[in-house]
Amino acid sequence: MNDIININISGMIVGYILLLVPLAIILYQRVPILKDTAIALVRMTVQLLFVGFYLQYLFKLNNVWLNLLWLLVMMVVADGSIIRGCRLRASCFAIPVFIALFIGTAIPVLVFVGIILRRPDLLDAQYAIPIGGMVLGNCLRADIIGLHGFYESIRTHEKAYHHTLAQGARLQEAIAPYVRDALQSALMPTVASMAVIGLVALPGMMTGTVLAGANPMIAIKYQIIIMVGIFTGTTITVFAAIRFTTKNCFNPFGVLDRTIFRSK
Amino acid sequence: MIDAANNELALDINRISVRYDGRWVLRDFSLRLAQGEKLTLTGPSGVGKTTILRCVLGLVQPDHGAIRINGQLLNEYHVWNIRRQLAYVAQEPNLGSGPTRDVLERPFAFRANSALKNNLHRVPELFDRFLLPHHLLDKDITNLSGGEKQRIALISAILLERPIILLDEASSALDADSKRAVIDYIRQVPDLTVLAVAHDDEWQAFADRTISLTSPKVLLHE
Repeated sequence: MNDIININISGMIVGYILLLVPLAIILYQRVPILKDTAIALVRMTVQLLFVGFYLQYLFKLNNVWLNLLWLLVMMVVADGSIIRGCRLRASCFAIPVFIALFIGTAIPVLVFVGIILRRPDLLDAQYAIPIGGMVLGNCLRADIIGLHGFYESIRTHEKAYHHTLAQGARLQEAIAPYVRDALQSALMPTVASMAVIGLVALPGMMTGTVLAGANPMIAIKYQIIIMVGIFTGTTITVFAAIRFTTKNCFNPFGVLDRTIFRSK
Repeated sequence: MIDAANNELALDINRISVRYDGRWVLRDFSLRLAQGEKLTLTGPSGVGKTTILRCVLGLVQPDHGAIRINGQLLNEYHVWNIRRQLAYVAQEPNLGSGPTRDVLERPFAFRANSALKNNLHRVPELFDRFLLPHHLLDKDITNLSGGEKQRIALISAILLERPIILLDEASSALDADSKRAVIDYIRQVPDLTVLAVAHDDEWQAFADRTISLTSPKVLLHE
């Protein structure tokens, strides 16, 4: 296969010029997202450049502890994003959600790198960082949908929930339908994207691998495994996040503690 | 009339006080109910009647005082067992969603009620008794009228065979015939202890005792 073609500065400038089209449409239609778009573009550029520089060193050093630290930093950032996104109180959620993210990310990464790719070094930067990042990114999205859906749904349907407790349900029995709905909402985007992958969209990882010069069949095999990893990771993390947080969020009588919600 | 002092107590509420947002909605409230006794609580809105029922169910925790049900102290350890002795019918029952038949079957999926599943055979008889047409079993519960939902909630409570039933304006949406059918049924179960919140004369006539809560129970937090 061909070596990957680097994008030089002028190429990057052309890429950014392409943004004039969506920005013109936004301005013409007065869509109120101009400020958000500008902030997002600046953040994306700065964050990715920073990560790019950092990853260059990370890959060069390929130190297990440094790789682990990087993954943990990503998890802490994801943890904060989830709690902010769900409008929940950090003191109740930060630690259990972090543990859920850790388990949901670690299992697919270790299986992928250790068992499938048989790398002697489980935290090899070339594999653990991008795979961990992809799984974690999806866990973040799924946790926001799942946790927010779970707690908001119980708050909205509090009367029905209390009625279930009054009928003699234990806590796990009473929350079971809400766990089911939260898992369904959180997993549906991954299930939907698995169903159309390759037909409607070529996924980013596969496209990147092909652009980097890999054989498309190899890229597809990687993509299949990563999709399975993402699905596994998101399912584990959402389920674990709900299970781990219920202890702090319901009182010993099974009643939802309303102080877990941050006011808007 | 049953004398609560001379019978084993089904319910013993001892000087409970409840505060919401710094405001006392209930202060030093006490009530004793003998087994099989039927008591109606009346009083103006906001006086704390529903709060009393919610305290008994362990859904609201009093700031002070204690509640015992059949001699067992209501606390975080016993609440799960205590709820197996109680049935609750709310003024506007929220029974979830789905066909009425599923709503009636749902509580029997809980471990506490699994041994009672055979009681479902009583559903047709109870539908007749409470003047409900059988085709409602296949209708979605959310499409039923307030009165129909109240009677379904009552049937669901009866099927659970609890010794104590808590009724919160449980017949407020019923017509006169349906209300009479409900009251007649509850009256003819001698062992059933009933704590009913109600305004109308029929419930007051039905009860062994009526307690009227008045505004002095509602005191502003100093």
